[in-house]
Amino acid sequence: MSGGDRLAAVERARAALQDASRGEALARQRGRGKLTARERIAGLLDPGSFRETGGFALAEAEGAGPPPQPADGVVTGTGRIEGRAVAVLAQDFSVAGGSIGRIGTAKTVHAVETAIARGLPLVMLLDGGGHRIQDGQDARSFAHASPLIRTLARASGWVPLVALMLGPGFAAPTNFAGFSDLVVMVRGLSTMGMAGPALVKAATGEALDQEALGGAALQAGAQGLADLAVETEAEALALARRFLGYLPANARAAPPHAPCDDPAERREEALLTLVPEDRRKGFDVREAIAGIADRGSVLELKPRHAANMVTALARLDGRPVGILANQSLRLGGIIDAAAAEKGARFIAFCDAYGLPLVSLIDVPGFLIGSAAERSRLGRRSAKLPFEWAHATVPRISVVLRKGYGLGYIAMAGGRSMEADAAFAWPSAEICAMSIEGSVDIAHRREVEAAPDPAAHRQALIEGIRARTGALRAAEGFGLDDVIDPRDTRARIIEVLRQCETRRHGGLPPKKRAIPPI
Amino acid sequence: MAMIRVNSEMAGSVWKLLVAVGDEVAEGADLLLLESMKMEIPVAAPAKGKVAEIRVEEGETVAEGQLLLVLAS
Repeated sequence: MSGGDRLAAVERARAALQDASRGEALARQRGRGKLTARERIAGLLDPGSFRETGGFALAEAEGAGPPPQPADGVVTGTGRIEGRAVAVLAQDFSVAGGSIGRIGTAKTVHAVETAIARGLPLVMLLDGGGHRIQDGQDARSFAHASPLIRTLARASGWVPLVALMLGPGFAAPTNFAGFSDLVVMVRGLSTMGMAGPALVKAATGEALDQEALGGAALQAGAQGLADLAVETEAEALALARRFLGYLPANARAAPPHAPCDDPAERREEALLTLVPEDRRKGFDVREAIAGIADRGSVLELKPRHAANMVTALARLDGRPVGILANQSLRLGGIIDAAAAEKGARFIAFCDAYGLPLVSLIDVPGFLIGSAAERSRLGRRSAKLPFEWAHATVPRISVVLRKGYGLGYIAMAGGRSMEADAAFAWPSAEICAMSIEGSVDIAHRREVEAAPDPAAHRQALIEGIRARTGALRAAEGFGLDDVIDPRDTRARIIEVLRQCETRRHGGLPPKKRAIPPI
Repeated sequence: MAMIRVNSEMAGSVWKLLVAVGDEVAEGADLLLLESMKMEIPVAAPAKGKVAEIRVEEGETVAEGQLLLVLAS
């Protein structure tokens, strides 16, 4: 065989991997309404930038064995998004249901290790059913287990991890999602969960369909394992590209500043009247976020999960930031266990990648009562202040309205978390507990003994309210300034420009932090 | 026709009923306001439908998970 023939053989083998040579597999994937692994990679990356690793890998054939499995069911390599390098892996559902075989595992681990070694974001395009049963039911093979989960765990916080769930994703892919910083599901196409319906039925007798067990509505809603649910695969791929635009390639790189044509001094008139006169009423804090951030720069994460705590990526003067805000339209903005965890994970994520944090506070407190205790809020609530205390990025707090009790501290109000700037709007009211509640507890006898108890109670309430306002808070130097709501954007940007190199820190010399959960 | 049970997501009291039996409601429309921790907590329709039953009265204290009303969808 001449050198030319050998090269031609390599090119034939390479061509055999492409969709054009795998008509039947392509048709099967189409029949399920899905793109192929290679189409997804093409849709994710800048055109022509994909460089495959391990394309010639095949499953080990034992005896008669299964037919050859192209690339052993996972396409891996590197490429570029908006000119910036990323690592990518795409499970191929047309190969043994996207199941993870031995060589495929080695390739997947290699992709994660490549992301770690080169300091590149990793995008995982997941479409598979977990472990390949033929490989798994033999202790000689399975006793090795797999270093994949450990490797992903070690990658988390070093390089941004994105998981797009583009098909069945029960078992192992769900675990990958658990480590990921962005998890996107496609409605009607994606599922996630500890095990699929067939295994659940066999093991426990519980009969559930895929959607009820782990569909997008559930996982991006009540469960909150997914950040966003979208309608099409193309939207999911576009979201991954957009998300990575807020982030550095790794934890040692600086976040990317984007050009900004939205003036830093822009006044947002609508913010002057955003907080309702009636302090029982909710208002949409996302309007505050939209007014403060660079136009069109807001990407809300987990909008359908724990909506009482809004978490959003945004840009201010072109700088990527993370914004945390209490949403009074949902459960009054009270922090329950789901909201505490959502906020805490977001703080850790922003801190890992150097994004300053902006906290917009309107919190009536943590949830109280039997439901709170049942949800183990005592421990789970501690995760929020824990993450603030360990974060090293600049942070700015703005009390829009209520700053009550422990919730105020957990949102980094006042001096609690060494905010680089602690602001309040004139509508702020800051105190340790509900004013009415404190009167009813501390002044109960006095009110009962009064000639007109209702009037006396009201007078006491008004008296306390007069001592909980924004100016009073600034008098004690609990805040830096009371600001005009219209200038919030300008005031935050001014601080961020000055805090570019600010690093919080100064922890005692402990070996490691111990999270409350 | 499916019957959708709308339960209270938190403990509080019923501040204001915004619908009556027989009303057609859109998905996301406010059905009633709870009052808890001195905040109005709107309870929204999880789907569009017709109000089939209202199981609480204004001023009544409700527990987390308690049935508030039933929608026929």
